[in-house]
Amino acid sequence: MNLDFTREEQEFQQSIRDWMQTNVPDDIKRCSAVGEMTGKELQQKWERLLGGQGWLALTWPEQYGGPGWTATQRYIFDLERAMAGAPPTSPFGVAMVGPVLYTFGSQEQKDRWLPGIVSGGTLWCQGYSEPNAGSDLASLKTRAERKEDHYLVNGQKIWTTQAHWADMMFCLVRTDSTVKQQKGISFLLIDMKTPGIEVRPIYSIDGHHHLNEVYFTDVRVPLENLVGQEGMGWTIAKFLLTHERTTIAGVADSHHEISRLKKAVAEAPGFLDKSQARQRIAELEIELMALEYTNFRTVAATDEGKPFGPESSGLKIKGTELQQKVSQAMVELGGMMSLTWDNPETVGSNVFNRATRRYNFLRACTIYGGSNEIQKNVLAKMLLGL
Amino acid sequence: MEFNLPENTTLIADTARRYLKDNYSFEIYRQHIEQQNHVDASRWLAMQELGWFGLPFAESSGGFGGTLLDVAMVVRELGAALCLDPYVDMVVAPGKLLEYIGSDASLAMLSDVIDGRAKLACALYDYHAGNQVLTPSMKLNGKRLSGQKNFVPDGGFADTLLATALADGELVLLAVPVADCETIRHRALDGGRIANVLFDEVEITDGMILARGKKAEQALSMLLAYLQALDCARMYGAAGALYQRTLEYAKTRRQFGVAIGGFQIIQHYLVDMFIDLQQLESMLLMVAVKAESEDASRRERASTAAKAYYADKAVRIAQQAIQIHGGVGVTEELDIGHYFRLVTHCSLTHGDRAHHIKRFAGLDEVHPGE
Repeated sequence: MNLDFTREEQEFQQSIRDWMQTNVPDDIKRCSAVGEMTGKELQQKWERLLGGQGWLALTWPEQYGGPGWTATQRYIFDLERAMAGAPPTSPFGVAMVGPVLYTFGSQEQKDRWLPGIVSGGTLWCQGYSEPNAGSDLASLKTRAERKEDHYLVNGQKIWTTQAHWADMMFCLVRTDSTVKQQKGISFLLIDMKTPGIEVRPIYSIDGHHHLNEVYFTDVRVPLENLVGQEGMGWTIAKFLLTHERTTIAGVADSHHEISRLKKAVAEAPGFLDKSQARQRIAELEIELMALEYTNFRTVAATDEGKPFGPESSGLKIKGTELQQKVSQAMVELGGMMSLTWDNPETVGSNVFNRATRRYNFLRACTIYGGSNEIQKNVLAKMLLGL
Repeated sequence: MEFNLPENTTLIADTARRYLKDNYSFEIYRQHIEQQNHVDASRWLAMQELGWFGLPFAESSGGFGGTLLDVAMVVRELGAALCLDPYVDMVVAPGKLLEYIGSDASLAMLSDVIDGRAKLACALYDYHAGNQVLTPSMKLNGKRLSGQKNFVPDGGFADTLLATALADGELVLLAVPVADCETIRHRALDGGRIANVLFDEVEITDGMILARGKKAEQALSMLLAYLQALDCARMYGAAGALYQRTLEYAKTRRQFGVAIGGFQIIQHYLVDMFIDLQQLESMLLMVAVKAESEDASRRERASTAAKAYYADKAVRIAQQAIQIHGGVGVTEELDIGHYFRLVTHCSLTHGDRAHHIKRFAGLDEVHPGE
């Protein structure tokens, strides 16, 4: 048992902290201090900066452009990144399609797509959900018919985050409707500039445009954009679910949000009951500690080369619940200061003025990536034997 | 970081589990509750022979040099077995206090604890001061001690109390013969024995004063963190037993022609219990490593967070265990309700949830990951 970072890890932490201090762009820090969304340009600027350092594809093997860090180092990096007020990187390229490509892709596919992900140059989106295939993802209907030299794709995706930014989409499509649902799904890479693709915005309750509907009408996708074999799509999707669990709990960003909340409470005008506020924050900090030590167990096990243990099973559920609780505390402690939506000048505290945006946004976190109810169904079956 | 239990700790835990499985049961527990004296001579001797009496204490104090983690694993097993033998109350608690005081006189008393000759208990609380343990309501005026102690876990038979009092505004730790006090003993929520003790002008000689001032405060502070960690260990054992029993019940209890574990809401309740139990385990390992630190800030952050967390989540597991069991869960016949009382009991000792939340809110800031 040893619950402290080693001396080397502490030095690593200090070096990352120093780097963040001088390198996180000021406009990003400004956004994060008040809780505003970074937007495409800033997000991409940040990801390219990390890509230039070789710090974007953190979990990848070194041969594909990973930094060769341990899970503990990755955890430390994520923590210092968040505490410096920098946003998490977009998961679609780095955390999702990248590992799929180096695990299941052909040499040509790796050569073609991995460098753009490592550098932050190519933006990806995820074409999974459909209007009638949400939690029941395997019932998806978007069709890809195999023609002589291409797939012909027809159908519709929905809730596609950043589709309006993306250069590429990785997409689950039905290539065979005569076999069992899961067996007829394939994993296809689609260039978002292909004729026949229409992206329509969905505005979410934080007032922002992250989500989209994506319509496919006779979209021609080259045959070489199929990953693995036809019918392997479901296997690949399941692989992704278990790929990386050491940052899924969002511990780093919850630390940052709590520290913002504390600062806001300390600086808040007189009507806020600070003693009561500090106790509410203490409850959140304690929950975060339990989550963080559970996360540390997963990180440590990963560094010992062990498979994910039962401790990792609740990280997504607990992590998202806590993110919601922290954002709710921020809104409620702000009280009337949280009534503002697009105020041009600060009323009391800018942190509280912006608090409802994140609170609204985070209602989605217990839904996306497999709703918490679906997660519990899976755990009941797989772990509890029910 | 590294979370694997040392081999020796695993051995201690396995031995404890096996011993209790062979020598304790729900039937024995139910007889145990009815007894006035909570030490069973043969089990007490066996626990001593298993090395538990020396385990919590440094070799330089005559102990076996076990860590808090080692002791926590024993206490976890006691909780899992619903065992009422007052090992923590009459060996660990008074022994650690004497060790933390560290004077020749206190270490001499400690050797009697390790040898199994002492009958000591700690008298730290009264209902006036509540959790403000550094300012007890009992006063030592000159050589006369007056006041009262409540919630004294004396196993029903301690002959000497390690008691706190204020002397001219300064904290003092005293060893007071029970024979000099008026004692009303009764049953506690968890089935153990506790006492109200009245000290009416009890004469205190110099030899009875174990420590005073800063020394006394520091010893007490270290003791409390240690005991808070053990509260968590005991609750973890009980919560784990509750989860296992409830999962088993959900798989076998049939209604509407099917096992109730087939219903989605029961599945989700059980998954919630499972996930909370994982987090409770993380907090137990965390507190067991950190709560015996000499660094007060590290120690208090750990013990206070763990205790506040357990008082919420372990209690919730115990409540849900009853809910899923339905009617049988609220009977004296079944062990479920008894575990529930044990968990509730431990959630209130050495600071309840509200106390620890407030305390945590007042602790110093640290950078995440440190």
